[in-house]
Amino acid sequence: MRIPRNSISFLLATVSTFGAGGVAYSAQSDSQIRQADFSTIVFFVVFAALTLLICVWAGRRATSSSEYLTAGSSISAGQNGLAIAGDYMSAGAFLGLSGAIYVSGLDGMFLAASYLASWPIVLFLVAEPLRRLGKYSFADVLAHKLRERPIRILAGASTIVIVSFYLVAQMVGAGELISLLFAIGYGPAVIMVGLLMIVFSTLGGMRAATWVQIIKAVLMICGSAMIAALALNRFGFSASDLLKTAEANHPNGNGIMNIHGFSQDGIATLSLGVGILFGTSGLPHILMRFFTVHDERAARVSVFYATCLIALFFTMLFFIGYGSIAILRGDATYANASGALFGGNNLAPIHLARAVGGSVLAGFISAVAFATILAVVSGLIIAGASSAANDLVVGLSGRHLDERKRLRISRISALALGVLGIVFGLACEGQNVAYLLALATAIAASANFPLLLLAIYWDGLTTRGAVVGGTFGLISSVALTVIGPTIWSKVLGLGPAIFPYDSPALFTVPLTLFVCWVVSIAKAEPEKDWQLTQPSVAQYVE
Amino acid sequence: MPKTTDVVRLRVTAHRLGVRRFRLALLMIVSYLAMMTFLIYSARHTPQSPVVATDFGPAVIAVASCMAFSVILTGFFVFVRNRD
Repeated sequence: MRIPRNSISFLLATVSTFGAGGVAYSAQSDSQIRQADFSTIVFFVVFAALTLLICVWAGRRATSSSEYLTAGSSISAGQNGLAIAGDYMSAGAFLGLSGAIYVSGLDGMFLAASYLASWPIVLFLVAEPLRRLGKYSFADVLAHKLRERPIRILAGASTIVIVSFYLVAQMVGAGELISLLFAIGYGPAVIMVGLLMIVFSTLGGMRAATWVQIIKAVLMICGSAMIAALALNRFGFSASDLLKTAEANHPNGNGIMNIHGFSQDGIATLSLGVGILFGTSGLPHILMRFFTVHDERAARVSVFYATCLIALFFTMLFFIGYGSIAILRGDATYANASGALFGGNNLAPIHLARAVGGSVLAGFISAVAFATILAVVSGLIIAGASSAANDLVVGLSGRHLDERKRLRISRISALALGVLGIVFGLACEGQNVAYLLALATAIAASANFPLLLLAIYWDGLTTRGAVVGGTFGLISSVALTVIGPTIWSKVLGLGPAIFPYDSPALFTVPLTLFVCWVVSIAKAEPEKDWQLTQPSVAQYVE
Repeated sequence: MPKTTDVVRLRVTAHRLGVRRFRLALLMIVSYLAMMTFLIYSARHTPQSPVVATDFGPAVIAVASCMAFSVILTGFFVFVRNRD
């Protein structure tokens, strides 16, 4: 099998599956795969019941906005580390990266390394000050130093945009995954996931989402370890033999031990990498996790736990991906003559689970994948609801909300975002959602990350600089992605792309920083009285 | 309200820590870019062959090194900060 000619599109498609639960099934869906397995249904029902029980338990405690949005900041470092890792061990990471390795070898691991490399950046630059200064959203950090209203409106708008793109991508991916796993139509699948998601996020809040992430992360690690171990067992636990068989099975031979997706355009690869590297530090649902722990010590320790767990997970994906090549390629039960897996290459780990562990292991893994979608989507909705209640409403109305109003608006926002997710999920059926997630990451890297970085580490940042720079980052990243190859040429079919790269982060991140700097130094703002007596934000880094 | 001298001392401490953070962040970014450069370079200069060669090629080692470096740097930072 040849590697896709447009390597960056392939990478973006893989990136999209990282969060979207695997979306590239439709082209190769097969009736053989569209059969709901009994064990899958049993595991699914058990998991759905378990998550709803957690939701009810957490919902009883969610009587205040801090409990609903941040679990009362009572999550321990270990629990938060598992929950953060759970956010990253999405069904998309599991299916998408394994599928990417199955198709072209090491390209998938490059993405894994890129996502992992983004975590030290989160830890070094934003985790601790965010925990110390923030309460409900990253805008709290900005508002500590800058004028509150304009900055909250900007932060709220960019958060809602990022969350919406993420949510739509997740819903489309979830609809296709559930449709495949349970042999139901796409529409009912989206509505079913959407309703569960609304119930889950409006009632349970952050505590429920966190505990489902924790349980799911443990199950995902155990399931992955089981598949990797059983695959290695086929080769006498010799990684060398497994890799040699994979090389022998794959048409690219030893080429699968090298990177190929990037050979056509280094700039495009670099831009994608920059988006991933800095995008994590601006993703609202990731940043929200730091408000759920008690203090900054717990925040940084939780990042360390998460990094270790994510690295462990990605290492197992390496063996699952190459194990899929070694075991599934050439087996007519799972792949056709050209090597394409029935149901799509993203089903590689599910097929491998079935091949090495039977239908029980495959059913277990499928159910874990579903729980993953539910947890990730709930986290997204809560992040969006938090920003709507604490940033947009406060910014637009100009006054802070009392506890009851904040909780009520948060729940209404969660409901609205859930309905929006269902509607757009239904509307986007069959769409290539790769650009949605790439856009969300690029916006997070371009609009949120520069503002956070400058607000924390540069005393010279002014409100005007932040608003102009942030708006520039938000609009430029959206505009450049729209006129890029994926949307302009492939989705809209408007001919050759005006902007040649799918991910604009390489250009928009430094440009946003530059605009913030230029506007800030062009006209210094007089410090408010309270600022003269306050320590600067940078001092909170300690 | 903090005295002026306290604020100055706080600022000095913060700046020292800020420098350490930025150095570590730059180290991570540089190592990531080095990995990316090496991968792009090796992809363009390594001839493909259907013949089975080695278990772990240089590209695999580069990716694994970057992942390991991420974990090590994170652990190092947490260890140092928790000891402070």
